[in-house]
Amino acid sequence: MRRAELRTALSDLADEWLTEQLGDERDVALVAVGGYGRRELAPGSDLDVVLVHRGRADIKELADRIWYPIWDSGVSLDHSVRTVDEAVGVARADLKAMLGMVDVRHIAGDPELATSLRTQVLEAWRRDARKRLPEMHAAVDERAQKHGELAFLLEPDLKESRGGLRDVHAMAAVAAAWIADAPAAEVRDAATRLMDVRGELHRCSSRSGDRLVLQEQDAVAKALDGTDADALMRDVYDAARTIAFAADEMWRRVEAALRPPRRWRQRQPTRRPLADGVVEQDGEVVLARDAEPASDPVLVLRAAAAAAQAGLPLSRHTLDRLAVHSAPMPEPWPAAARDALLSLLGSGPDLVPVWEALDQLGIVVRLLPEWAAVRCHPQRNAVHRFTVDRHLVEAAVEASALTRRVRRPDLLLLGALFHDIGKGFPGDHTDAGVEVLPVIGTRLGLPPADVEMLVTLVRHHLLLPDTATRRDLDDPATIRLVADAVGDRTTLELLHALTIADARATGPAAWGDWKARLVDDLVARAAALLAGALVLDTRAPVDGLLDDAQLELARAGVLDVHVDGDRVTVVAPDRPGLLWRWAGVLALHRLQIRSATAASVDHVAVTVFDVSPRFGSMPDWSVVRADVRRTYDDASSLSSALAERDRAYARATTLEPAPPRVIWADDASESATVVEVRAHDSVGLLYRLTAALAEAGLDVQSARMSTLGAEVVDAFYVVGADGGLVEDPLQRQRIADLLIAACRPPS
Amino acid sequence: MKLVTAVIKPFKLEEVKAALEAFGVHGLTVGEVSGHGRQKGHTEVYRGAEYTVDFVPKIRLDVVVGDDDAADVVDVIVKAAATGQIGDGKVWTTPVDDLVRVRTGERGPDAL
Repeated sequence: MRRAELRTALSDLADEWLTEQLGDERDVALVAVGGYGRRELAPGSDLDVVLVHRGRADIKELADRIWYPIWDSGVSLDHSVRTVDEAVGVARADLKAMLGMVDVRHIAGDPELATSLRTQVLEAWRRDARKRLPEMHAAVDERAQKHGELAFLLEPDLKESRGGLRDVHAMAAVAAAWIADAPAAEVRDAATRLMDVRGELHRCSSRSGDRLVLQEQDAVAKALDGTDADALMRDVYDAARTIAFAADEMWRRVEAALRPPRRWRQRQPTRRPLADGVVEQDGEVVLARDAEPASDPVLVLRAAAAAAQAGLPLSRHTLDRLAVHSAPMPEPWPAAARDALLSLLGSGPDLVPVWEALDQLGIVVRLLPEWAAVRCHPQRNAVHRFTVDRHLVEAAVEASALTRRVRRPDLLLLGALFHDIGKGFPGDHTDAGVEVLPVIGTRLGLPPADVEMLVTLVRHHLLLPDTATRRDLDDPATIRLVADAVGDRTTLELLHALTIADARATGPAAWGDWKARLVDDLVARAAALLAGALVLDTRAPVDGLLDDAQLELARAGVLDVHVDGDRVTVVAPDRPGLLWRWAGVLALHRLQIRSATAASVDHVAVTVFDVSPRFGSMPDWSVVRADVRRTYDDASSLSSALAERDRAYARATTLEPAPPRVIWADDASESATVVEVRAHDSVGLLYRLTAALAEAGLDVQSARMSTLGAEVVDAFYVVGADGGLVEDPLQRQRIADLLIAACRPPS
Repeated sequence: MKLVTAVIKPFKLEEVKAALEAFGVHGLTVGEVSGHGRQKGHTEVYRGAEYTVDFVPKIRLDVVVGDDDAADVVDVIVKAAATGQIGDGKVWTTPVDDLVRVRTGERGPDAL
């Protein structure tokens, strides 16, 4: 409180002095506006005053008599002389003047003049608000553009940057117009912290600038509470994020309030399903009526993933409900939670606002306690643009654009999110990361082999750029060293993509063509050395796939559907085009296919699907069974039924983070051609892909598909109509085109 | 005065810098450049597709020295940058007419 009192005391002192200067005059008043009006003076602040009068003829002489001693004293003064009507007129014409005058306060002279001015200004502001707020919002955005985000700048402007004091003033002004609530306690608290820092900055630098430059940070920290610049910046960043988040939220409220009211016919807002328990309403993501956060620990991640994938914000009410009522996540996490996290991470740039919102409500730290160590953690070097936590999120965004380069997009995204997690712990950040990652991986419920690969990624996340720029790439020992450290090509691929994502998320100085070429060269050489060590699962899917019970079913050879938990096995006498039929039927019943394996034993096709219901509960299996039987003979109505269903879903509005990719894996099998499709998951994707293969005249002998979060890696073992390999480049191009087209949902 | 310019392999930068400092040269300008000499890039087979690297990433160093030191500085750089392999780079000198230290306005060898 000491510093808040200091600000008030400074204002009181100025008030007293100005009262003396005015003396005993009639029909005039001195009023304070802006920060002085709010009694928030910092040592270097201007005195912002207006001399209000009732049309006195000698006002010029009177003003000179007051201003001159102030100028002579060296205090910087921002002044004007107006009647009440003039002042209101100026405020209505100039937004900046209006925002200052919203805080008008009587200092000396006729109190009625001050009251009248205040009443009329506020009335005008409330009357004009609908018109002025869009203009104000634009000005706020422009200021943010110009001054950057306070929460991430090395040398932020405490007042003008996004998340700075001006945003708090803007929020108060909007509240004064009765369009939004007054800033909440946590925002006022954050503003107080920034004002404290600003006051010390003015004192330490003996200047009025609000830019918290590097050279002052240690002194300011010491003067404030005896800590160092790191602790100071962490506190400043935290306050700025609280303010920026609340301001964004407020502007969304303002936009909603300014939207024309619905016609009576449309009173009921449309709610469109996005995921199980999650719907879109009025451009925001909210919980479905029957969603139960208290008994559904994964709901919070599902809602976040759905929001990010659709490029929409989570509504504040939903966030509050999820933060307060979510059941604790069981450990290890269930597969659905992992999937939702991956789908969230893979959503591209829309991840950032959603993550920021989860972070503000403490949800991230509750799910991942290690995150607390990197939150708002400053990186005080010129290469880095962001705090550690934001860098990690940005790395995941960059990684989401590179998911088609790797066979394990899930590990790439997790590696990006956690590669610098060690920066929050003492000691070398790579060593710390290697130590903490098994804890995280185990909590997430990853299989031990995946945890090990993640640890390898974190341990070596600087290996490629360091080696490429500092070691002789023509020396076989250099290449051997990298190959030995990495071990296989799957990991090398992952590490290469992680290196690029990490560097791009760091800042413009960390990555460019020059460095990219060196790293590419190193990777190409290491890949050549590891050529024999490609970890591609080349087992024909039938080996070891079917357990005895399933083989028993296959031998019976009768068309049937067996359900065991979330595993669906379809057995049928083999004929071309079964896979797309089954995939279509499952999609029709709102089932999301997490993985699928298809194989044929003695002319009986066995297809095993792992499914999860897209919304709510599992379908009525007797109906599914009937649909499977019907579709086996006649699939003509499948495509139109699916298209019909498709229209009921909310369409994701954003661009997918990475375009789909088709890869021919020639070394994978001798009896069939293996084509791998890497794409973004969507409703009915497997159906469309397998239908495209059928259209190309190919027979799918077996398939292995896996959904990793929102990304899909499908390998199809196909042969041509003649039973031979598909080798003609033109034919391959045609197939690839069909598959790529099939990756996009029909519009 | 002479401008000594060297184009070297990136990983040799630290060694060359250390050698120059040991010799007594303290100021130098470094840039990331790309190009090719007789080395002419190289062809790699990567992910099954052949691609040609036309320009190879290199480091370019610029250092201005007195006439008497130029030959020695060239030797120092060549010795530190050599690996004996193709693509080790080149070093050349150019006469410098004038030199001004911006801060003080000193001219000629005084500004070195």
